[in-house]
Amino acid sequence: MSKRLVVPGELVSEEAKRTGDYVYSQNGKIYAACVGLVNDESPVADVVPLRGKYIPKINDIVIGIVKKEEFSGFMIDIAAFYPSFLSKKEFRYSLRPGEVVSVRIEDIDETHEAKISDVRTQQGGTVLTITPVKVPRLIGKSGSMLEVIKKGTQSLIVVGRNGRIWVKGGDINLLKKAIEKIENEAHLSNLTQKMEQFFIENPAKITESLAQNETDQKRRLYE
Amino acid sequence: MSNKNNEEPVYVNKQGLRLDGRKVDETRKIKITSGVLPRADGSCYLEWGQNKIIAGVYGPREALPAHTQDPTKANVNFVYRMASFSVPDRKNPKPGRRDIEISKVCGEAFEKTIFLEKFPNAVIDIYVEILDSNAGSRVAAITAASVALADAGIPMRDMVAAVAVGKAGGHILVDLNKDEEDASDAVDMPMAILPSTEEIVLLQMDGVITKDEWTKAIDLGLKACKKVYELQKNALKEKYIQAESSKENKVE
Repeated sequence: MSKRLVVPGELVSEEAKRTGDYVYSQNGKIYAACVGLVNDESPVADVVPLRGKYIPKINDIVIGIVKKEEFSGFMIDIAAFYPSFLSKKEFRYSLRPGEVVSVRIEDIDETHEAKISDVRTQQGGTVLTITPVKVPRLIGKSGSMLEVIKKGTQSLIVVGRNGRIWVKGGDINLLKKAIEKIENEAHLSNLTQKMEQFFIENPAKITESLAQNETDQKRRLYE
Repeated sequence: MSNKNNEEPVYVNKQGLRLDGRKVDETRKIKITSGVLPRADGSCYLEWGQNKIIAGVYGPREALPAHTQDPTKANVNFVYRMASFSVPDRKNPKPGRRDIEISKVCGEAFEKTIFLEKFPNAVIDIYVEILDSNAGSRVAAITAASVALADAGIPMRDMVAAVAVGKAGGHILVDLNKDEEDASDAVDMPMAILPSTEEIVLLQMDGVITKDEWTKAIDLGLKACKKVYELQKNALKEKYIQAESSKENKVE
């Protein structure tokens, strides 16, 4: 499987293929719209971007941070162009500014403003970030990469499509290094095997027990 | 006019070489590096002869104040500024008539290539700071901004490559430097194109030129823009190819 690096305006395919993301067609040919990788053997002409901001898509799970409480709801920053509004009608628990929540994008209107639902608060933990376009690499094929990372660092991880990663417990410093490594090498192949090797060379140093985290989460349910 | 006898210098000598030893269709030395500002979404540092330029792109982000928002498309906010030390005499850092005009025309050049309709109510900020200048700084600014936009991952139809063409001493030249721009019959014609379609997105001119000379200048300009485009492409790809080769070394 050979992948080709393209810049905006470069030819992706001369054939009439189904078009995916970050491409546009002109005079029957398909061109790239951003810097990214092209797989010429794929039946879909698309570019996997190497840089870019998060654009909300329906059914994405994202990590949001509560910005402020208003009379009828909460403003939640989901790292898109606009903060999202969560109505108190749909979510009857109280949230404090600065609290971390994982939400599902339910709908997007024509100005890319996202309607959110399925709110879950993430108690404690840390939020790490990665370039949003590299999130698929962090998860891997059917979650393979994420499994490797969870096993390697012993952390609880929730990956948001917006490039925010909520983590708790385990070896967070090792996890930060692993994420940095994925970010730098996202355009290379066989990354999952490389990460497996990375965790063999750098075993996790656990200071905080996972059991404690689980009780924290249970307590949260009754709050 | 540096010449004591008040004579025009020979802009192209018998060997076909210019004052600084370039050929008529040769640009100055261009060096492009992408991704230099860690806090910007995309950035670029460019050296074009003596011109030294740094460009940063932020966004797309919410356009504020809200009355500037356009619900059908994003706005492009191109800011061209010259550092006070970028010219021989100190430049007043307050944006003057020239800075505002260049900001406007360069921003319009990018409006043609960015998929603005994908980001309603948003703004894309492009800040270009000229650290050192010697003729042709607006084309250098466009070239740098284009690389910075691509580095920010903003969807674009094409890169924008720019070059100045013109006339000095009766010769049509590519990429005039300051000495050539000071010729008595000088014509300066900055142009920017979308390389794949050869669509012209910026064209300005001052001076007097005949129709034949104009056609010749445009032809030379298009060829030079294509060369600039190749350099832009290499600068963007270099970063990832470098990472790949350093990775291979590590495995060994």
